This record gives sequence, structure tokens and C-alpha cells, in this order.
Amino acid sequence: MSDATLPASFSDLQPWTSWALATERERSDKRQASSMEEILVFYNALLPRAEAALEYLEQYPLERMPADANMLLLLTLSLAEVAPAVELFGQPGVVDGYDVRRFQPERRG
Amino acid sequence: MDGSSSNDTTWHSKHPHLGTGPLPTNVFTCENQFQLEREHIFKKLWLNVGRVEQIPEPGNYFVQDIAMCQTSILVVRGKDGEVRAFHNMCSHRGNKVAWDKHGSCKAFTCKFHGWTYGLDGTLRSVPDEKNFFDLDTSKLGLTLVACDVWEGFIFINVDPQPAEDLTSFLGEFGTRLHGYPFADISTSSASWTTEVNANWKVVKDAFLETYHVAFLHGRSLPDSFTSQSNPHNQILDLRLYPYHGTISLYGNADVKPSPVGSIAFRHGASLIRQNFDPNAPPPGVNPGRHEDWTLDLNTVFPSFFIDVSEGSYFTHNFWPVAVDRTIWHSTQYFPKAQTASQRFTQEYGHVLFRDIILEDGRTLEETHSMLASGAKKEFYLQDEEILVRHSHHVIQQMIERATGTHAHV
Ligand code: FES
Ligand SMILES: [Fe+2]
Repeated sequence: MSDATLPASFSDLQPWTSWALATERERSDKRQASSMEEILVFYNALLPRAEAALEYLEQYPLERMPADANMLLLLTLSLAEVAPAVELFGQPGVVDGYDVRRFQPERRG
Repeated sequence: MDGSSSNDTTWHSKHPHLGTGPLPTNVFTCENQFQLEREHIFKKLWLNVGRVEQIPEPGNYFVQDIAMCQTSILVVRGKDGEVRAFHNMCSHRGNKVAWDKHGSCKAFTCKFHGWTYGLDGTLRSVPDEKNFFDLDTSKLGLTLVACDVWEGFIFINVDPQPAEDLTSFLGEFGTRLHGYPFADISTSSASWTTEVNANWKVVKDAFLETYHVAFLHGRSLPDSFTSQSNPHNQILDLRLYPYHGTISLYGNADVKPSPVGSIAFRHGASLIRQNFDPNAPPPGVNPGRHEDWTLDLNTVFPSFFIDVSEGSYFTHNFWPVAVDRTIWHSTQYFPKAQTASQRFTQEYGHVLFRDIILEDGRTLEETHSMLASGAKKEFYLQDEEILVRHSHHVIQQMIERATGTHAHV
């Protein structure tokens, strides 16, 4: 996925496309497998661009996102994934938490 | 111990039949108790197995294995639009007729010898039928299980003659929730399933009280459910029904969202309360009409939760597997996202909720693994843990009524 491109106006986020992952399982695994330093650089790159990204994405219905826009959307979902690590726990995983890899996620609709 | 537990303003003082004594701990580990719960509770009561949105079209089906009822249930929407439930078992020699957890089909063909059943469970065809002896195919459909739908939630009852119907089982609890927009909110969902090495009541009890919120969730929910005026997240309201119960949770309107949280909150509903009209929801939601309400925890006996807030709700189903094993299934429901902002907001709420219940989850095995030691014969419940006491009370009462004895003393 990391050789695909983002919309031109978000090309500054191109270094972070390895976080453009399609499922909760993949995003969660990436968070758990990353160091806090790696999570922080991603978080710090995305946070100031998130509002602009969501505003840009408003032009497309969710069901019919072009590939580059969808990649940007997936980056914002990874920002949501790592937010608790940065803002609440100060470590990749939940402090004193149940092992998230034992949670089988499933989405409908 | 402290003043509040001895005066008459406590929740317990309004429900004196529950008593205030300690809770025996052997109910969590005793194999005999577990068998009694199987026979007299899970095999007798209505159990939630899912929602209608899982099977929108005729031929859609899903399977719910229920170890506690020693069966697997096949839930199907028929050609007539009706939702039916069957034991997932072939009439020939017992093979499960549906092997997939969910799917869509025109008929169920058993993978063993090819007997085929219609969506209404009737036996349609038998390969080499003439080689059988006196086979009355009209009597050999799938075995029906009592099934009914309330507010889009599908319930089954494996008792061939349920003592009461679903409406009367849910009673006033059910009618008071009528009007909450379950159908509008349930257009998309995200869930997690895990098997925990703990008794189902250890798991359930962890979700029945808010005494733990300030401490266990001190990192994940700083100031969301607590404030200087309510430092211990004391509940705003309690409604007890014969089986079920509701507590209303306090939310701190002045909580400062985190950086990512504030982006999410600008775009829609979240776990933490926003401005809302306390008189808008149906009478069963925020029943005390509290201004500082954030969500209601609704416990549907024996092991189903529907926790509702403004604009979203979540459920827990706890399925006992063995005395020390439980399948824990939690689902968050959202109106289907139309835009990227809505999708992002839902993902933020979903991840935050997951991380919060991971904190709950850790206590379960850490607790259960110590129970067998026998070091503690009793547990002590404070006033705010009244739903825990109520749950244990109803369990013991059902067993005692069915067996005519005190199951445990
Ligand atoms: S067991 Fe189903 S056809 Fe034989
Ligand atoms: Fe909790």
C-alpha cells in the first residue's frame, strides 16, 4: 500500500502511508508493534493535518472514495487508533490491559 | 462501615429484600452451582442472540453456539420475512446443518448425506428416500426453538415450553425503553469477541457497577465520569425490575477533550456526553431526567447488557462455556457513517471504548485465578454495587425456586 499516493494537497503525509491500513485488526497490530517514538512521529505529523484532511474528504460520499482519498481516510483512522496510546497511556498498549490481540474485531455496515 | 451505608438514603434501603451482607465466593467456582445455573436459568430464560440487521433479507442466517444450553442455534429469516430459530441439527443423524457462522442461502443442505431443509425448517428432500423405512418427512423438519424480537433484538428460549413470553419476561423494563431509536442507530456495528478464563459472573459483575471507574479507568477516562462534585462516579439513578435493572451514569460536562478527541467531538456523538435535552428520550432512558446524565447501563438477565446514550449504544453478551470460561462479546452500534468525518468520529469512539474495556478485561482473569485458593470466603459490596447484589440474588432465587432448596450456604 505504501507505494500508492495521497491526494496532491496532502503529499506532505506521504512518509506515513505505511499507516494506511484497511482494518481495525491491522491498525491495532501496527500500534502494538510500534515503539512509542514511532507512534509519536506519526501522531505529530497527522494531528495538525487531521481537520484539513476531514474537510477535504467531505467532498466524497464514504461509499465512493477515490483510492488516494481513501488512503488519506485510512491515515485519519490510524490517528484515532494511536490517540489513546499518546493521550492516555504514554505507551503503545493499554496500561495493565487485557491483551488486545485476544479481541477478535468484526464490522458490519 | 461509613455513614452512608447505615442511613436510609442508600439504594439498598429502597430494596431491603436484597440485604446488605457479604457475597459467598464459592458461587464463582462451584461446578454444581454452574450446572444449576445451566438447568434453571440459561435453559429456561430468553437469551439475546443478535439483532435483525444481521439478517436483513430472506435466506440470511447466523449461528449462535450456546454451550450453556448444550446446543447451537440457527437463526434464519424466512421467505415470509419472519425470523425463526432452530437447533442447528440434522434430523437424519445429527450433523450441524449450518457450518458457517453466518451466510445466505435458499435452503440448508446437510453436508453429511444431503438432506435438505427449507428456510422455514421443513424437510424438503432426502437423497435415496425410497431406501428408508417408514420415513414421515413431514415430521422431520429442523427442531424449532422459541424465538421473538423486541426492538430489533432477537431472543431465543430453548425451553420447549417457555414459562412466559418475551414481552412478559422483559416486562416494564421493555416497555419503558420503547421509543429509543435502536433501528436508526443499528445500521452499522463493530464488535469484539474473546474467551476469558473466568466464571461468567466474574465477567458480568465487572460491568454492573461504576465504583471502579475512578480508579481502574483513571487513565482512560480522566474526569469524564468524575468531577469534584462526584469524585467516585456515584450513580444518578437506579431502577430494579424482577430480573433486570437500570443505572444512570453521571457525566462531567466540563471535561476537557484530548487533542484528537476534540476533533472527533466537533464532528458528532461520542462516548462522553454532549449538550442534549434531558426530556427528549423515552421514559426508560435517563429515567430520573438528570441534567448531568451521560448513559444508562441496562442489564437484561441473565447476561445481556444494552447500555444507551444519546446517539449510540453498546451491548455486552456473556456466554458461559464452563465454570471457569466465558465468551465475552461486546458490540458498539452507530448510525451508518455517510462522511469521512462521521467515520473518523466513530472510529475514535470505538478505539477509546475498546481500550477502556481492555482495562476491565484485565481484572477478570486476575480475579478468577485467585478464587480457587479459597483464601476469601466472602466478598463485600458497597451501596453503589447494588446491581451486583441484585444479579446474585436473582440467580440464587431462581435456583432455590426450581430446586426447593438453598443451593449454596
Ligand atoms: S446427518 Fe444430515 S444428512 Fe445425514
Ligand atoms: Fe469498566
